Order: sequence, then structure tokens, then C-alpha cells
Amino acid sequence: MAKKNGTSRRDFLKTGAIGCGALAISQLDFARGILARAEAGELTAKELYELAQVENQLFTVCLNCNTGCGIKVKILDGVAAKIDGSPYSPWTLTPHLPMSEPLSRAAKVDGAICPKGQAGHQGAYDPYRIRKVLKRAGKRGEGKWQSIPFDQAIGEIVNGGKLFAQVPGEETREVAGLKALYALKDPKAFADMGADVAALRKKKMTVAEFKAKHAAHLDKLIDPDHPDFGPRNNQFVYMWGRKKGGRSDFSKRFYEAFGTANFHGHTTVCQGSLYFACKAMSEQYVGDTFKDGQKFYWQADLENSEYVVFVGSNLFDANYGPPNRTPRITQRLVDGKLKIAVLDPRFSKLASRAPGSWIPVKPGTDAAFAMGMTRWILENQRFDAKFLANANKAAAAADKESTWSNGAWLVKLGKDGTPGGFLRASEIGLKAKEVRKDKEGKEYDFEWLVVLKDGKPVAFDPNDEKEAVEGDLFVDAELPADKAGSIRVKSGLQLMKEAALEKTIAGYADLCGIEAKVIEEVAREFTSHGKKAAVDMHRGPAQHTNGFYNISALMSLNLLVGNFDWTGGMIAASTWNTDGSKTEKQPFPLKKLSPKVGKAFGLSIIRHDAKYEESTLFEAARYPAKRNWWPLSSDVYEEILPSIADAYPYPAKALFSYMAAPTYALPAGHTNIEALTDLERLPLYFASDITIGVTSMYADYLFPDLHYLERWEFHGSHPNMPVKVQPVRQPVIASPNEVVKVFGEEQPISYETVWLALAEKLGLPGFGKDGFGPGQDFCRPDDLYVRMVANIAFDGKEPVADAGAEDLRVFQASRRHLPKNVFDQGRWEKICGAAWAKVVTVLSRGGRFDTQEAAYKGDHVANKYGKLINLYQEKTAKAKDAFTGKPYFGAARYVPVVDTLGREPTALAEGFDLHLITQRDVRMTKSRTITHSYLTSSLPENAILVNGADARRLGLKTGSKVKVVSATNPEGVYDLKNGVKKPMVGVVQVTETIRPGIVTFTVGHGHWATGAADVTIDGKVVRGDPRRASGIHANAAMWIDPHLKNTCFIDKVGGSVSFYDTRVRLVPA
Amino acid sequence: MDTLIRMQEDLERALEKPPEKRRWAMLLDVRKCVGCHACTVACASENKLPPGQVYRPVFEYERGQYPAVTRTFLPRPCMQCDKPPCVKPCPVPKGQATRKEKRGASAGLVVIDYAECIGCGQCVDACPYGARAVDEGRNHSDGTPAPQPYEVAASFEYGRKRQRNAKADPVGKARKCHFCVHRLQEGMLPQCISSCIGRAGYFGDESDPKSLIAEVKKASKVQVLKARKGTAPRVYYVASEKLEVIYG
Repeated sequence: MAKKNGTSRRDFLKTGAIGCGALAISQLDFARGILARAEAGELTAKELYELAQVENQLFTVCLNCNTGCGIKVKILDGVAAKIDGSPYSPWTLTPHLPMSEPLSRAAKVDGAICPKGQAGHQGAYDPYRIRKVLKRAGKRGEGKWQSIPFDQAIGEIVNGGKLFAQVPGEETREVAGLKALYALKDPKAFADMGADVAALRKKKMTVAEFKAKHAAHLDKLIDPDHPDFGPRNNQFVYMWGRKKGGRSDFSKRFYEAFGTANFHGHTTVCQGSLYFACKAMSEQYVGDTFKDGQKFYWQADLENSEYVVFVGSNLFDANYGPPNRTPRITQRLVDGKLKIAVLDPRFSKLASRAPGSWIPVKPGTDAAFAMGMTRWILENQRFDAKFLANANKAAAAADKESTWSNGAWLVKLGKDGTPGGFLRASEIGLKAKEVRKDKEGKEYDFEWLVVLKDGKPVAFDPNDEKEAVEGDLFVDAELPADKAGSIRVKSGLQLMKEAALEKTIAGYADLCGIEAKVIEEVAREFTSHGKKAAVDMHRGPAQHTNGFYNISALMSLNLLVGNFDWTGGMIAASTWNTDGSKTEKQPFPLKKLSPKVGKAFGLSIIRHDAKYEESTLFEAARYPAKRNWWPLSSDVYEEILPSIADAYPYPAKALFSYMAAPTYALPAGHTNIEALTDLERLPLYFASDITIGVTSMYADYLFPDLHYLERWEFHGSHPNMPVKVQPVRQPVIASPNEVVKVFGEEQPISYETVWLALAEKLGLPGFGKDGFGPGQDFCRPDDLYVRMVANIAFDGKEPVADAGAEDLRVFQASRRHLPKNVFDQGRWEKICGAAWAKVVTVLSRGGRFDTQEAAYKGDHVANKYGKLINLYQEKTAKAKDAFTGKPYFGAARYVPVVDTLGREPTALAEGFDLHLITQRDVRMTKSRTITHSYLTSSLPENAILVNGADARRLGLKTGSKVKVVSATNPEGVYDLKNGVKKPMVGVVQVTETIRPGIVTFTVGHGHWATGAADVTIDGKVVRGDPRRASGIHANAAMWIDPHLKNTCFIDKVGGSVSFYDTRVRLVPA
Repeated sequence: MDTLIRMQEDLERALEKPPEKRRWAMLLDVRKCVGCHACTVACASENKLPPGQVYRPVFEYERGQYPAVTRTFLPRPCMQCDKPPCVKPCPVPKGQATRKEKRGASAGLVVIDYAECIGCGQCVDACPYGARAVDEGRNHSDGTPAPQPYEVAASFEYGRKRQRNAKADPVGKARKCHFCVHRLQEGMLPQCISSCIGRAGYFGDESDPKSLIAEVKKASKVQVLKARKGTAPRVYYVASEKLEVIYG
């Protein structure tokens, strides 16, 4: 193979699985190149600062956290030498350069990104990266590996067998391969059995009837006596940590073709209850039911807000994210144009930039503060009555509102007064159910809803654009029913008011540990700025057992002022489409380019989108359920491994994890290690990672992945970004990974390569030659991604402009260092055809970004949410708690922190005097930034922050070493198994910047893998770097739920894990 | 307009002036510094600093008692003093190793000539701000399985392309912040300014009244660090607190 600017692929292959040697060669080559050019007199003075040259820059997207800042990678002789912000990205300049600005201008303008982004290339050039497939050569997690050929690994995973016969104790252990789990293949059988499982759930069919009808396929089910478990295909579980568009489309294509219901993300370890409370608030009334809720949330349009209440929203260290949100407010804070309140037990950097803004509430009391505000606003008539009266779209439009609420809609009460679903007009004989037709001509039932207007019932359609209907706000009435008797109803707002009145403002303030007047002052200020006030929240309030209700309560405050879609109010994200489903002009409608495959059915191993009462497990077990069921949430990260360990509802056989570190990231993460090392309950585990990571170290097979500078993704946006965008992550440097052949195509081993090779070996439809239809192959990552870029280019009213001659020249010149197995212009042009010049425009700017001017229209944002927002959540009210059988409350309310059985954790707290929380420092992102020496040089270790009063009481000083212990981890250790226990010992930092009684640490240190520990590969010891093990990670001290026993405390409704509810003690160490 | 764009336009205008007519200066509005340390890391990456060496630290201070507490984030580049205490003790004849530069893009800045520097460390001891340190030749990959290519990729300090090598400059030499003069001459802002997410940093030719830095300086009450040392720094601060009390 020809040498190209440095190291040839073969040079890399000469080395072991972890890099030694090859880099010395690359350095030499590099030095020779420089010398040769200097001798030839090619280095003119003007050329000296090569980092600023347009041919040495590529635009892509950072992934050192999930913010997705556009970055400009400056490349010297094929090496990523420096990273700065991309001026085309609205994340790094405000306003950003329009895409029409030439690359030559952008070359000289560096946007601002955070330190993690600045250090990003240290993650790519990490001496502990793996380059070949590693197979476990000892016990799981023992750190003994053997490098094996890629094809062998794929073969073993697919075919199974006695795969670990060489490991003592596993001589006879037979492992089922994916081939055995790819049991059901016939799309028709999937459809028929799927439909009957749905009937089974609704009690329209019995298990016996199901078995009789599907006798021919019963052998393909996990358990014929429980058809709702689904086919054996479901025993393959796929889970992921950080994954964005593109890679998610890749895996989706696989798991849909494979037919498993088990594909689970990590949302609940981040801020699941924020997502799922907002999903509940965004459910839309379609026909006669609520559906299509979006897993998303809103944030404040900071550049125009006049007053923002930030709740657990760590703006300058975390959130999404510091480079975009910070410059939108610092000057405005200094000028007094923006006032803020910061609810946080910590005096965060954000609070510190706005004197007088800090309100140090106790953790877990966010909803108490919000309900106190709600009470004050309702009692003092400070809400936007006009907005809240609007019952439908037409009424909203008449008031120049693009959103409306269901605050005036009538809710039916049960006999005991429990609020249930909304009243349908047919139930009081007001207006009969009707049959309507959807866009495709399909008939559906439509039921009218009801408000009271001046005391009289009025039927309405919430989505009606013509006939405006408004309702009375506070209703408590008895209406005559259609047939006989009467129906008790209340309006959504009335229910909200009653929930707010459950405590006095003083009572709420007491729970928060603050004075009542603080709540009143914030409520007054919040209602003094019209639509330019917002309550902006993030994971602080979400990551408690009461997270769902904290978020519902906080977000509902925004409904009280009706600030959605207004400049300075709450806004939603807006992105250019990638899958070709948006406009006719998009060249690659991916859904249509997929073969027909069976639709997965049956319960997922985390039991999401399912009701316990409808399952075949319910009758025998009743309440409390063994584990939770999740009708309102998905991607419940803390459920995956413990459910596998419990084989609940059924046993799993194989697990694939991608960029996942649940053992580190989850509260009580050590419980996941227990599950991962259980060979019986988890017979096969393979992982994709770029190092031997804190979780992937327990894998049977470990596949090297690409670093984010070497690969593709479509990062999407965040709700604080008013500009319509689609940032494109693309390869800007070559990968050091072993190059293999899949579907006859050379490619460095990657996440995608694993899927492709598994698909090839299993013979899954929709992959390989003609995978996207005749003449359209799907054999390599770029076959999918280049098509998706073309779709981005053609979305919207107008496509992007064609690249000019200079752009085309630079496009090629700036990629001169990339090998053909990564970048091949001929191949890409062939895929794109006529779309090529537009694809170049998008790629050469690192994505598609609308202009700043296009983001606003008058006093509204241009990219509107524009729909109903639920103040009362019918779907929530119709779901039941799987432990108590009681219906969930469907609106804002303060509820205390409790365990799964509803008990306040007083017993666990007994004798543990400090309340443990965690925080982010802008220099660390959980498990992936410890590999960056620029960052660890700046923050070599973290500390346990303790208030001065607590420190004095406990005799602690800055620098004291302490161990963190709790009722569920009295030993104060992270049990890594195989006899290794990492003590949770850290250094105290005494500070006045935290509420007394609370202690915290920044997450990112205290690693036990990812290069922190010694490992043995092919019999040779690779020594770990002690810098990576420094500091403390105390997640294992966080409480384990007493009923679940192998899982942390959870929010049963919104799915979030509890990060901030545990009480601990600090023991001198 | 983003202040980064505005300052870049100011910079292009300044570069058209003869060097002796412009006056590079930096102004840091610590009210807007959010303590993100991006400048520290951006500078380390741009100038290929070894572990432990920092041109541009950001110091964090906490004062007061709960809940009446304040935090201050104080970035500290080289002050580019007009009366630099670091120049005089340099034992290299004629003061060639470190000097107040009079020519070119770096006119007005205190520079180090790596070719002349003998690494004696006298200037390091003389700087009242601790802005200088001798490069001890360490690398980020020390103690790990292999050196990494980005570590030997070139730096461009003072407009000279240098690859990091244990036996070559600047290893063994005194090093410090130079306002990224290699970027200035290309019409680009110093790294600490262009990486500032709080837009707390201002840079430019303060003798140009139309420049943003001149405007901000005029409109604000500015402070300098260690004023009593008489070093006449070219780095100004805007802060709500008295920095003299916190830093000296």
C-alpha cells in the first residue's frame, strides 16, 4: 500500500492491538516531509502558519459531550494538530457566518468552544486505543485478552459454540450465537403473531387460543405459555450510550431486519424524566386518544429573555451547552438586560455571574418551589388568562399564539374523586362520535371534547383551525350523562390549582429550606415580563425519584405565562431532515429503500411501552410487580442489565453494547457489574468501544471503534438553538484500526463494520449488494451516510447552493490525507449523482445551518413548536403504578422522594448526615474525557466539596482524605469483581459555595479502566496510566432500591435514575 | 455582530499601520469570565505546551460565607509589561534572549528568542506574575505505551515552525505567553481571545479609538494586576471586585 502523508495502514497493522511502535515510524515520515519541503524552499513566510490554510482545515462536529458544537479541525500532514470552533456553526459564534461565506474567510475565523472540544484530538491519539478485536482470555473483567481476526470474532458471535473453552471453568459452557436467536424470519408470521399478542393484551384472545392458532411457530417463541414475550429474536439485546443520527439509522436497519424488540438507549441516566415529562406534555389528541408525544423538551430562548429561572441547569459547566448558551447571556447579565434566579444547592458558576440570583433549595424539592409559585400566580391572577382559555388551534391563532393548552378542557372524575381522562362530548350527549378520514383516506373514530363556556358545555376539536373555542378556566361541575346519572368534571386548571393548594406557600418554602418570600418574589418577577420570561431546567430537577413531577410542575409554569414559541420564551429544536421523508426533492427516501421485514413484537426486556396489567405475568404475580413497567418512558438505562440479571420478564442470551459505560455512569453502577459477570444470565456479551472501557472491560469480544474525528454522524440540535441546523460529523483523519473486508469492501473496523459483518454472516435483508435497491449497494458506512447528506442538502423550500469550483478544489485538497477506504470521491459522486455539488456544500461547511436572520419572525421564533401542550396529561392519568396498582396523577404536583414501594427513605438515611449530589465540571464528560491530558493537566483530580460548617463539625479540612459510605454501601467501595475493590476515597475541599448538609463531587475522575489499569494482551502487560485513576467516583454509594435490590433508586414514572437523593457519611481514610 | 468578528476587523486595520504606531493590549472583563478554562487548554494545544506548563491559567477564588459568597475567575496571561522586570536579569549579552520587541508584528510585546535563551531561569524568578517557566521537555504521553503524533506536530510560536523534539527548542528554554504573535501576523486573534465562550476577553490596538478594546477600556473602570510593582502591564481588567485584594 502506498504511503500517504505519514503512516501506512500496514505500519499500523505491524503493531499489537494497543499501539506501540507505529507512531515512531509516523514521526519519522512526518519529519522527513517537513525537511524535504524546507530544503526545496517551499516554506514561504506566508505559508508558515499552515493551520490557517484552507486546504489544512476540515469542518465537523465535536462529541466530547452531547452539545454538538461545530468544529474546525486543523490538519498538518494528516495529523489533527489543533481544533477550534467552526464559524459556520451557531454554537461557536453568535451570529455565525452564513454558509455563503467562502471557506477562505472561515479559515481565518475561529469560533469559541469549550476546553473538552479544544482537547478533542487527544482522544483520537490515545495510546490506550484498541485497534484489533480483543477476545476475553480470562474471566469477565479480569483484564486478560487475546487479539483475534475480525472474521473469527464475527463467526463465533453468529455461530456460537464452546467459545471460551480455554478459560478455566468455562470448558463446557455452550454459548448460543445470534444465528440461533434469529429464529423468526417470515414477515407474515411477525405480523400475525404481533397482532394476536396485541389482542392477548386487550384480553380479546387467550393464551390457549394463541397457541392453537400459531402452533407452527411456537418453537420460535421465547416461551409459548407467554406469547407476549415475543420470539427468540428478542433475546438479542442491544444497548447504547451516546449515539446520534446516522449511527442510529445504521443500527435501526439491523435490529429491524433481525426482529428484536430490544434496542435501548441511555436517556434516563441523563435527564430521562425531563424528556418523558415533556413527552407526556406533548402528546397530541388524535381521533379519540393521545399519541405522537415527542421525546424532547423545551428550553429558553436566552438571547431574548428578560427573566429566566434556571433550575438545576448548570449552564456554564454542562447543559447543551456552554459554548452556545454562555455568549448569549454574559453581556446581557452585565448590562442588566437579563435577570436570573438560580435554583441549585450549589453556588454554581452561573449563579456566581449574577449577584443575588442564588436560591439554595434542598435537592429534590424543585416541584415544591414550582407549586409554591403556581399557587401564588393563580391566587394573584398573574397568569395569561387569554392564552389558557384557548381550547383549540383556531382560538390560539386568533390571539397570535402558535401553541395552546388543555387547561380549560374538562376532565372526568372517578367515584372517589380521582381525575381520569377528558370528558368526550358523546358521554353527555352533546355531540356524537364521528368517523373521519385521514390524509391517506383511512377511516378513524373521532370524539369531540368539551369545555364549559360561561357555564355551558361546548364541544370542540382541539386541532380545528377554523372554529375558535375558548373555555372557562376554573371549573368544578356535575354534568348530566348521556344515558343516566351525572358526571363530575373539573377543568385542567382547576386540578392544577387544587394540587397547588395542597400546601401553603410557607409549607412549600419549608420543604425547599428557604423563606416563603423568595418564592413570592420569583413568582412576581416571572410574571412581570410578559412572554419574555422562562423557567429553564435540566437534569437537576429530573434526576430524582420525583423527577417526572418536578419537571411537570416547572414546565407548567411556562404554560401559565404562555411563553412557548415567543422570542425570549420557551423554544424547541429544529433540524434539517436526514432520512428523506420530508420533501419530494430529497433523493434518498430511506424508508422506501428498505426491504419488507417483520415488525418486532413482544415485550422488551425493560418492559417499556407496556402495561403490567395487560401482560401474561400479571394475574399470577399481581402487586407489587417484581420490577417496574414503563408505559410512559423508554430507553430506561438502569433497567437493562438488572432486568437481564433477573431474567425478567424473560432470559436474554446475547448483549451488544455501544459507547456505553453504565457501570460508571449509573448511580449504584456496581450493580451492573454484578449483571455483566453473570455468565448464566448473560451468556454472550460483545461491545464496541475505542478503549478497554469501564464497562466494555467485561465483554467477551471487544471491537475497536472509530474516534469521532474519524467517523460520521448527524448530530441534530438542542432546544435552546433557535437556528434550524443539521451538523454533520464526518471523517477528518484516518483511523488507526485494522482494515478488514466486509461485503468485499475494505474498511477500518468500526461500529458500522460490526453491524455490516453480522448482517453479512446472518444474511439479513437490506444489506450488501443492492441493499438500498437495484444498483444501490449498502456495503460500507459511507453508502448510507453520503445518501443522508444528500437528503439534508435537498430538505426545505430550497436546497443548498451548489459548491463552486473553489469549494470543489478545496474539498478534495483538504481530504488528501484520507485513505480510499475512508474517502473516495469517485465512489461518493457515483452515489450522489446530480446531488454531488450540493453534498460538497454541506460537507465543506460541516453541516447545514440556516442563517441567524431566518431564526426569528417578529416576536416569535420562526421554527415553531406550534401544537397543543398538555397542562393535564390524560395518558399519564390512565397509567398505573406497577407496584401499588394506583393510577398516576396526570398534572403538576409536589411529591416527595420515595422508593419503588412508595416509602420515604428515612430508614436508609438514619445515621448518614450528608446529602450526596454530583455535578459536572466543564473539563470532564463522565467516562470519556479522562484520556485527555490537556484536561487532566488542568484538573488532575476532583474533590468532595463540603460546606465549612459541616467540615468544622466533622473535623475535616481541605485536603483531608475521606471515604464515602452509605446504607447500601457501608464498605465504601466500587466492587469491580474478581476480587478487586476500588475504595471510594477522595480529597475534601472545604467551601462556602454549597448549602450546608450537602456534599458533591464532579463526575469524570476515579476510573478503573480506559487506560487507568494494567491489562494483559496476547500475554504482554500493558501498564496503565495512574493519571487516569486519580480522583473519586462515588456513584456506588448511591442508594440501591430496597425492593429491586440490584438497581438504584428510580423515578417510576419518567424513568430517571436518582442521582441526588442519597444520604452518606464521610469517614476519614 | 459577535465581538470576535468585530475584533478581527479591528486587527486587520491595525496590521495596516506601521508597528510603532499600534499598541497591542488585552482587556479581560472578569464579570463575564465563567471559569471554563477553554483559554488555558486552547493555548496549550496551540502552542504545544508540555504537561504542567501553562501560559494562561485561570485562577479561581471564593470569598465570603454561605450564603453570602462570591466567586472570581481570573485569567492571567503574560502582562507584556512596558516595564518588564523579567528582561533585566537575562544574563545573555545585550539582552538578546528576552526583550521588549520593537519591530514587526510583535512590536510592543515581551518576547523570548529560543535560539538565544540558555534556560537559566532568572527571568522566571523575576516575573512577579509567575508567567514564565522553563520547558522541562516532558510530553503528554510520558509513561504510556507510545508517543502520539499530535505531540510532534508543529507549533508556530513567534512565526517559526517547530516540531517538538527533546533536543530542540523550545525544550530547556524559558517560555511564556506571547499574545499568539504568529496568529496576529495572520490577522487572527490570540487563542485565548478566540476561544473565550463568555466573550470576556478583548484584544486589539488600543491606540485605535475605533477599536472595540479602546471603546470598552474608555467606558469601563479598569484595573491592572500588582499595580504597585510599577510594571505597567498591557493587560487590563474590568471587575466588580478589587482585584488588588484578591490577587495583589
